[in-house]
Amino acid sequence: MLSFPVSVWLLVLLAVAVAVLAPSYGVVAQLKKYRQARSRERTENALKHLLREATDGRTASFGSLQGALRMSDRGLMALTERLERDGLVRTEGTQFRLTADGERVALHVLRAHRLWELYLADELGVPLDRVHAEADRAEHRLSRDQLDRLSASMGHPAVDPHGDPIPTGDGRVPESPGTPLGDWPMSTPARIVHLEDEPPLAFAQLSAEGLRLGQVIRVIDRSSTRVVLSDGEREFRLAPMLAANVHVAPVEAEVEAARLPEGVMTLTSLPSGTTAEVVALDPSFKGFARRRLLDLGFTPGARIRSDLTTFAGDPRAYRLRGTTIALRREQSDHVLVKAQA
Amino acid sequence: MSASIAVTPADIVREAAALRQSLEAGFREEVVTSLYGEVERITRRAVHDSGSRPLELDQRIDHIVTSRWLGLPLMLVILAVIFWITIVGANVPSQMLAAAFFWFEDLAAGWFTQLGVPWWLTGFLWHGVYRGLAWVISVMLPPMAIFFPLFTILEDLGYLPRVAFNLDYLFKRAGAHGKQALSMAMGFGCNAAGIIATRVIDSPRERLVAILTNNFVPCNGRFPTLIMLATVFVAAAFPPAVASLVAAGSVVGIVLVGVLFTLVVSWALSRTILRGEASAFTLELPPYRRPGFARILYTSLIDRTLFVLWRAILTAAPAGAVIWLLANITPGGVSLATRTADFLDPLGWAIGLDGVILLAYIIAIPANEIVVPTMLMVYMSQGMMTELDSLDGLRVLLVDRHGWTMLTAVNLMLFSLLHNPCATTIITIYKETLSAKWTTIGALMPLVIAFAVTFLTAATARAFFGF
Repeated sequence: MLSFPVSVWLLVLLAVAVAVLAPSYGVVAQLKKYRQARSRERTENALKHLLREATDGRTASFGSLQGALRMSDRGLMALTERLERDGLVRTEGTQFRLTADGERVALHVLRAHRLWELYLADELGVPLDRVHAEADRAEHRLSRDQLDRLSASMGHPAVDPHGDPIPTGDGRVPESPGTPLGDWPMSTPARIVHLEDEPPLAFAQLSAEGLRLGQVIRVIDRSSTRVVLSDGEREFRLAPMLAANVHVAPVEAEVEAARLPEGVMTLTSLPSGTTAEVVALDPSFKGFARRRLLDLGFTPGARIRSDLTTFAGDPRAYRLRGTTIALRREQSDHVLVKAQA
Repeated sequence: MSASIAVTPADIVREAAALRQSLEAGFREEVVTSLYGEVERITRRAVHDSGSRPLELDQRIDHIVTSRWLGLPLMLVILAVIFWITIVGANVPSQMLAAAFFWFEDLAAGWFTQLGVPWWLTGFLWHGVYRGLAWVISVMLPPMAIFFPLFTILEDLGYLPRVAFNLDYLFKRAGAHGKQALSMAMGFGCNAAGIIATRVIDSPRERLVAILTNNFVPCNGRFPTLIMLATVFVAAAFPPAVASLVAAGSVVGIVLVGVLFTLVVSWALSRTILRGEASAFTLELPPYRRPGFARILYTSLIDRTLFVLWRAILTAAPAGAVIWLLANITPGGVSLATRTADFLDPLGWAIGLDGVILLAYIIAIPANEIVVPTMLMVYMSQGMMTELDSLDGLRVLLVDRHGWTMLTAVNLMLFSLLHNPCATTIITIYKETLSAKWTTIGALMPLVIAFAVTFLTAATARAFFGF
């Protein structure tokens, strides 16, 4: 055994004590912070579950909560007792219901979730199948004030990227639009207004099939084992369980007429030196990049000429409204134009 | 008179919220479209277009300066011309300034001696601090006072956005932003100014790429080194009539190497620690404008030249003092400068340089301008920073007495191009990123690259070409 001088041991002891006990950075403080965050997350997830069940016309029970939160019996007992003590939940027999306070918290979390999803998808271009998981984490960390700013910065959007209504700041939930696909009459054109993102696996399947918000489809066959949709070019075969996760609404008359006419092409493929008229911006092109193009004057009806090409053919510069604007191929691919004679 | 229907603010908010629900998803688009429609209507009534000639001229120029075949070569020619004017034009004023400053130094040192001030204080203040300042001003001020106005003219004309447009494809492939070309162009003047210029890049990731790679364009402080080497080792082989052209050409060559490193490092960063795709790029190519004389003078001289010079002075004064101390503290009869150089020699040899050059670079961290004078000072074992009068004398000193070869010259050029940014630039990186991590990376990454590249060229030259 090496015999260290006592002073060295004391120093080591002191260092360990500081590492453990230091306020806000020490191990104890970190652990406490972690447990608080974990507890907030569980509370909010429980409230979110109760809200969902209430919206869907069901009532939540101990069993349904357990299924949603995956907690042990003891843990869940403690949680529900605490929720009741805090006045967020009240029990009626074996059923749990949200109190007004509980509903306020649950709506806040729901709003955070949906706004964050929209922000990720539209502003940051995160793929749709990843936004749900990310929002599940972020929803517990956003404050009311942050949500108001987020909402304002995106122009107070009404629906999230899956078509779910976003609760307003004063706690109202706009009505969920659309009819379940199962109730939609055969061969009537319909627009997809909502793709349910819970459970994530079902949503992943729907988007893997190629269904997306805003698509115009018809139901061409329906049986007990499958539902067949068509968008005029492709057919989509869905299990009825999956089809229930799709909501549709009637197609507005003008939109149906506005299907791309002949001679429409992307701005990228417009030959150098020729003039065209902007028809539209590709609907899948969203967020900041889209607003930027609109602000620059890429609005329907604007006359545009493909003007300059660099040595690599990318980017190109276009004459638009008396100015010359350079775009990379990634953007000009989303501008639909119609060449002029 | 009193309103029969009481509308409260709450009613209005509620009504607005209800109406918002009924908006189509594309309503923003309709708003913008109708705004533009209105603008067009007003324009048709109020603006008469008589087929403006200047606009046509603009477009004709654009077709030339951005054309597939001429765009890039034209850019290089313009760059070479600017360097040539800077090299040729800065020479005389530089010498005049140096002569004047050093004349005053001798005069002032004389006064001090007469007044009985101890020799070490005179030496420290006048031959150390003052001389360091004088060097930086006389080496830096004339080229900056020529380069920055020329550059501002290009900027004012509207040529720089065309450069960004021409080069964007390369930057896109490297995962970077087209406007990085603009911050690089500023970096020729001063990397600190170039790093501030990255503010035009919206995306934080691409801005960081631009900040971290800005150092690979040689700044005005490093041009004297490059120009000296180009003149002594490259241009000397040509007749005097074309020597300055050849020198400018070699400097353009080394600049191209710098651009290559910028692209390669940007590419590597975009695939490792700054992973991500190139973001959207919209750039307006504004109409060409007649440069405003007053504005050019103001922006280039006040905003840029004096700003950069002031920061250089702040760092050069202490460096001058350190140089004087190193050269004049002589334990055991050998100066600290010589001792350190001997100690660094093996490392210097490994990368094709020598200990003196490395020492000069360490001392010159505050301001790269003083690299060459420091180097010559140690070589000549003199007590002060020195400049030799003639280039022939310089060649004799370097080649015959200190064993410089083509390898030394090439590697010194490469090292000067790639090594760590100066203190001013490092401080600027910190100010712009507010992150110790990115500042450290910005300082150390170029240094590692510089050592790696020069080590490789030295090893290759020794293995295959018998240096």
